[in-house]
Amino acid sequence: MPECLKRYVRCVEAASRRVGRLAMYLIFALMAILLYSSFSKAFLLPAQWTLEMAQFTMVAYYVLGGPYSMRQGEHVRMDLLYASWSPRARAAIDCVTVLFLIFYLGVLLYGGISSTAYALEYGERSYSAWAPYMAPIKIVMCLGVVLMILQALAVMLRDIAAWRGIDL
Amino acid sequence: MGYELIAGLMFASMMTMLLTGQRVFGAIGFVAVAAALLLYGTGGGEIAFSAAMKLMKWYPLITLPLFIYMGFILSESRLADDLYTMFHVWMGPLKGGLAFGTILLMVVISAMNGLSVAGMAIGATIALPELLRRGYDKIMVTGVIQAGSSLGILVPPSVVLVLYGMIARQPVGQLWLAGAVPGLMMAALFVAYIAVRCQLQPHLGPVLPRAERQVSLAAKLRLLRAGILPFLIFASMTGLFLLGVTSLVESSAVGAATATLAAWLRGRLTRRVMEATLRKTLGISCMFMWIIMAALCFGAVFDGLGAKRALEGFFLDRLGLGPWQVLILMQLSFVLMGTFLDDTAMLVIVAPLYVPLVKALGFDLVWYGVLYTITCQIAYMTPPFGYNLFLMRAMAPPEVSLLDIYRSIAPFVAVMLLALALVMAFPGLAMWLPGVLYGG
Repeated sequence: MPECLKRYVRCVEAASRRVGRLAMYLIFALMAILLYSSFSKAFLLPAQWTLEMAQFTMVAYYVLGGPYSMRQGEHVRMDLLYASWSPRARAAIDCVTVLFLIFYLGVLLYGGISSTAYALEYGERSYSAWAPYMAPIKIVMCLGVVLMILQALAVMLRDIAAWRGIDL
Repeated sequence: MGYELIAGLMFASMMTMLLTGQRVFGAIGFVAVAAALLLYGTGGGEIAFSAAMKLMKWYPLITLPLFIYMGFILSESRLADDLYTMFHVWMGPLKGGLAFGTILLMVVISAMNGLSVAGMAIGATIALPELLRRGYDKIMVTGVIQAGSSLGILVPPSVVLVLYGMIARQPVGQLWLAGAVPGLMMAALFVAYIAVRCQLQPHLGPVLPRAERQVSLAAKLRLLRAGILPFLIFASMTGLFLLGVTSLVESSAVGAATATLAAWLRGRLTRRVMEATLRKTLGISCMFMWIIMAALCFGAVFDGLGAKRALEGFFLDRLGLGPWQVLILMQLSFVLMGTFLDDTAMLVIVAPLYVPLVKALGFDLVWYGVLYTITCQIAYMTPPFGYNLFLMRAMAPPEVSLLDIYRSIAPFVAVMLLALALVMAFPGLAMWLPGVLYGG
């Protein structure tokens, strides 16, 4: 396998890992926002921003964490047949079927970019009392999906390597 | 091509894609976007991202990572060990007593958690090795842990009921309360089953040896203190929510914070525990959320085909069945699909089709939520696709083989079907508690 592909896999996986590990800690941010929300409801004026901020944090959490968890093999498969195949057969079939997954992610990204472009052009805001701009979270989502596509390609390269019996 | 045919084709291609063993979210997502593009041209390209935005607005789903986090804090920091010891000592002298204890442990953990993951982790790491060491039958024990942990989604709090509540537009508080009595009843049925089995075949669940049974009453009472912590966590979370002090999502954050605090106070919040908790929480949350995101997209396309009306027409007009027959057919189809398909995806795709039908038949949607959840429990355990099965396979010690795991669930699935039938025949089991508390 050419050196540049190997370097691609290494770089992408390092990026997924770093982004994913950063996202991992967002759960504390989520907790803090919600605790503040219940605190403010009980003792202060109820905060208006907490609901949507929690939603944004949650989306960032799982979209940015997606590539890292894909690398970790956390996304379940239906293994009725899969479990009975040899590792090499699995790799061979995976590197074909992962193209379907990438296709889905590609369509997701297409929709994301058009939605983000709209949000940026018209300064889209959420319909709520706080009325935050929608573009930032959409950009975060798009970046997450881009990384997911890059990671899926890296997984595919790994599958090809495994199928051909090369150590990556 | 007729819409019904397209809908059927979509379902069939989803099955085929899943059979290739590709990641579930990719398989479902691909079929969804491919169908959208074929049906609507480039305009259909937006549908995947709109589903992602819709998922963001499903506010109650924020409870999902928080409940998962809480469960892992409890299992990784081994806070549940004391609880296990308590049940172990109190129940040990009975035939099959440790198995009763394990079911009770699972009930307590279910009351602190909304999914079956935590129960599985605690059952497989704490209870399973202990029970095997004491000569309990491995098949029975494996079944006990799988069945017991599945109570996590029926006993409040429950993430499945949160998801159902969003789809059926029913109040989560009522749904949770409705799940409580059937959950406890199911636990009692499990215990009854184990008791009968162990009376007839005492070698399956031997009594603790005499030396181990001699614990003084004072020591026994001291052990009861292990119950305080779970009670506090339950009260801070579900209690505050049901009293209306905190909202649903806030209460899950309170619960997560309380569990963290408890682990810290007991000096169990090490770096290793934190790392394992955070990583596993991220992994499982991402798995569920990406699947739901893809399933929402699939559901949107499906809905656009008018599947709702087609289904109603099929069941009510073409088959000409009575309401109960339709309901039973629906449950059967759920069980059947649930064994093959991803259970979460099924909820997101199929529930929006079934819920209006249930409503049209004149049934109560809160009650149906409980039926739905029990069906989900069964789906979680039955091969080839079930989350509890996957988890059990990943966590079980080597002497428990895959075949053991498959064989272990059969009697418990039978007990669950009995519970399902009871809740269907006596809706009061589910509706009594919410009726008392909300005066419905």
